[in-house]
Amino acid sequence: MCQRGERQAFEVLVRRYMKRAYQIAFDFTRDGEEAKDLSQEAFLRAYSQIRHFDQRSTFYTWFYRIVVNLCIDHLRRRARIPWERLDGKNQQSAGEEAMGDTSSTPDQEAIAGEVKRRLGTALGTLPGKQRTAFLLRNHHGLSITEIAKVMQTTEGTVRVHLHRAVAALRQSLAELV
Amino acid sequence: MLQHKDSHRSACKSFEEDLVLYYYGDCREPESHRVEEHLKECASCRHFLEELQTFLPLTAKPKELPQAFWNSYYEELREKLAAIDARESWWKRSFAFFHPWAVPALGTALVLILALSLTLAKGMWHFKGHRAQEEVPSELRAAAGNIDFFESMDLLDSIDFLEALEDKSSANSEFQKL
Repeated sequence: MCQRGERQAFEVLVRRYMKRAYQIAFDFTRDGEEAKDLSQEAFLRAYSQIRHFDQRSTFYTWFYRIVVNLCIDHLRRRARIPWERLDGKNQQSAGEEAMGDTSSTPDQEAIAGEVKRRLGTALGTLPGKQRTAFLLRNHHGLSITEIAKVMQTTEGTVRVHLHRAVAALRQSLAELV
Repeated sequence: MLQHKDSHRSACKSFEEDLVLYYYGDCREPESHRVEEHLKECASCRHFLEELQTFLPLTAKPKELPQAFWNSYYEELREKLAAIDARESWWKRSFAFFHPWAVPALGTALVLILALSLTLAKGMWHFKGHRAQEEVPSELRAAAGNIDFFESMDLLDSIDFLEALEDKSSANSEFQKL
């Protein structure tokens, strides 16, 4: 009964964090199926290791760390990240919707598309720590303090990673802007 | 937006990192105040901040997936979690109290028990062997390899005894005749 109760409690956490977990994995992999597999694997690991969860930190910083580490390991194995898919024209997973702004003019749409493509490519070439800091701050709204906990580093280091990531992304748009 | 090539100018180096943090709302006082004061008088940094405000949101458009996807995702994960519980056998649960320190502690205890039992057992064997040596006379132990010799000697003794008996009985019969 205790086991069943634990699982039911964990399923509440799954409902709460599944979208964020999937989104982080998708931001890293740019692949719907991989994002689904990685985020589910993160939940399974968290469930298996829940006894080791240190109550002093919040669940989601602990859980984000599991997701991010899984994604980084996965990318290392895969060696190359097909960030080119960010243009949305190839290999979108079922249910994914186009990101285009329908209210823009064709020129603006073309420029926005090119900006996204370049940003996606630049994101893929960022060093792992810069990418992690950037994705967690820019895409998932974690504070610098939370990112430092997830990455198990200092806030100062996170600020440096974030700044370098933004500078590199801005640099990738140098010819456009 | 982002169309003019000549607009890609750098911010002041000493403010660039703070401007990134300022954009994300992570710039604390007094740095925040310092940045705001600087922005009033520096067109390059103002432009840098505007660029961040323009292009960074483009990288973060969330994907809207249909509810059916999430229902399927959740159900699939529930099944996987149930499978984990089913796989976890009873002995794993009974050893769930184990901590990293328990392994060396258990190992030390086992070594101690083994050493103790070996010491005691050796003592008992030694004691038994000692008693056995004491009970058997040394001359017998020396002759233990020549048991056949002693058996043949016993046989000869028996023959001598029979001969003696025979001599005794013949002497008796002669005495009776007399």
